[in-house]
Amino acid sequence: MQNSKADILAVLECKLQGKPVQIQSGLGKASVIANGGTHRDVLKTLLEADEKTAVSAISGIDLGTNLGVYYHIRTANDIITIKAEVPKDNPKLASIIDLLPGAAFHEMEVMDLVGVVFEGNPNRGHFVLPETWPEGIYPLRKDVNANEVKLNPEPPEVKSEGKLVKIIVGPQHPALLEPEKFAVMVEGEIVRAVEPRIGYVHRGIEKASESRTYIQDIYLVERICGICNTCHAAAFVETVEKILKTEVPARAKYLRTILLEVNRLHSHLLTLGHAGLEIGYESLFQYFWRDREPIMDITEILTGNRVLNSSLTVGGVRRDLKETDVPKIRLVLADLRKKLPFYTEVYENEPSIRMRMQNVGTLKREDALKLCVVGPVARGSGVDTDVRKDEPYEAYGEIPFKVITQTEGDTWARMNVRMREVEESINIVEYALDHLPSGAYRVKTPRVVPAGEAVNRVEAPRGELFYYIRSNGTAMPERVKVRTPTFANIPAFLHTAIGESIADVPPNFVSLDPCFSCTDR
Amino acid sequence: MTNLAMWARLKSPWVIHFNSGACNGCDIEIVALLTPKYDVERFGIKLEPSPRHADVLLVTGAVTKQCTERLKRIYEQMPQPKFVVAIGACACSGGVFQGTYGVEGGVDKAIPVTAYIPGCPPRPEALIDGVVKLLNALKAPPAPPAPPAPAKEKAQPAEQLEVEVKEALIEAKANAKQ
Repeated sequence: MQNSKADILAVLECKLQGKPVQIQSGLGKASVIANGGTHRDVLKTLLEADEKTAVSAISGIDLGTNLGVYYHIRTANDIITIKAEVPKDNPKLASIIDLLPGAAFHEMEVMDLVGVVFEGNPNRGHFVLPETWPEGIYPLRKDVNANEVKLNPEPPEVKSEGKLVKIIVGPQHPALLEPEKFAVMVEGEIVRAVEPRIGYVHRGIEKASESRTYIQDIYLVERICGICNTCHAAAFVETVEKILKTEVPARAKYLRTILLEVNRLHSHLLTLGHAGLEIGYESLFQYFWRDREPIMDITEILTGNRVLNSSLTVGGVRRDLKETDVPKIRLVLADLRKKLPFYTEVYENEPSIRMRMQNVGTLKREDALKLCVVGPVARGSGVDTDVRKDEPYEAYGEIPFKVITQTEGDTWARMNVRMREVEESINIVEYALDHLPSGAYRVKTPRVVPAGEAVNRVEAPRGELFYYIRSNGTAMPERVKVRTPTFANIPAFLHTAIGESIADVPPNFVSLDPCFSCTDR
Repeated sequence: MTNLAMWARLKSPWVIHFNSGACNGCDIEIVALLTPKYDVERFGIKLEPSPRHADVLLVTGAVTKQCTERLKRIYEQMPQPKFVVAIGACACSGGVFQGTYGVEGGVDKAIPVTAYIPGCPPRPEALIDGVVKLLNALKAPPAPPAPPAPAKEKAQPAEQLEVEVKEALIEAKANAKQ
């Protein structure tokens, strides 16, 4: 069942009569103020009205005497913010993990960084901060100067578990390109539990962005993730443009769309190859990475750099596309399109891929909804969620494309969703090149942003990327909250790995397209 | 013996890659080095999964507080002589993350660095150039960087070991004659 935006609000108003909640439109979106534990009632109402209701993010904000806990809830085609406040001296709030288990990680992060205690969430202790970080100091509170924090000399001791064997993967491990630790508890060959420990790449970007200007922040947020950097830049500048109420020229919208899709092409080819490496299929890895190089060349033609391109800015893009470059881009795309039938055949029917990936890490549709997963992981389980269609941004509203879904929900389905999305991305780029409007490619915008707040979503290669920005009328933001798709997808791995063989852990895990620099920020 | 070891080191340096807090930009360029377009394996450069087998440690990213101890431990596990290459602006100095609460600074805040390759991220050509420069520097080796802290088991240099083995052999022969 899908409800339109107006319906959802009408349902909320009707059901919540007599309760101390207040519906207002701020953030460019609807928001509901729900104090004194009523946030759970609002969420329950939303869950009843729309089965696709999920937590996009939870922002913790220091509001002076109170701490704000903003639940950003997405429905089928909208995003609604439930705002709750708790006093700083007694920051306790009822947990929502019984309603939506996917909220567990979001709550743990707010507990660690802002110091709100969620009653009902059993997890305590550091989640993203170093183990040696002192108790009771929360870096995202305004009165904490995080640079003066003295770390404890020794991390607390970890107790060993009973008869289960604990296999520790990471932080340095051949299968992981990045540092992160997963303790896999096995009984014989069968995985019984997985304990994640993230935070090895936690640099504190959200806090750092508060002490830099909006223009400097574009470069900072791009470096949250080098792989999907364009998506971070796009999500950030769009949010700022929403607060500024800037209308971006049509040509800039198309150029941004091209950049975003080229970014998706390189990211998907990277993952499709990497998955081959994880199952010992090295020639497939080499093939994919060979054909990914021309895409990197396109990025260089468009922006001047291969990876981090810093091409987007508030008000448009920094660089126009030259007419003479268009044929070069078309040539690369046509060449890649010719090779696609071979790769599709390999991913769909190659026996070794089917053996290693089919019926591995199966995530059922109802579990995918409960765990609030996003992107290809959700689409592989038959949930047709795609921000590009649900809430079109840039030029996506004008460009025809299909949302790819598979119903199997296993590792094979998730990888095949990506495989088929490669073709859609080529279509989008070619369509955008055909219909590229003429005119200006950027407008001037003021450096100082008026007080306000906005939320924004972008479909990154790994799924929905969420940004919340609160401005205070200066040249620097007051709070920037980033919820990356990889952070939302880890619960899917923790859920599906249990009961399967330890040998199935790498293909299952890589099918989420993990990226820890995104996860930790 | 020394010449043989040096020959092997120059012709086929085994590298290990550790991300101490990078954004993945440099990491994907390192992986691109191993794939058909750049293919550094033709120079004998091989990516090794274990620090105990590696000659060169490639570090990407600013060193986060959580990673500092882990990076030191990986460095200590490598056999002597060992070389560290800091890849990217963040690894060289902390880059854009300098001064954030989660970050300690550049790689040289934690372990001694032999070579720096700046760039955000450095192009694969720059990475190849950096590694080649490192190898050329090894031909006329300056004093290898001092180990950071006295490791518990001090690795013995191959040369000294050779001398000791010879002495032991002579002694054994002398004993046999008696």
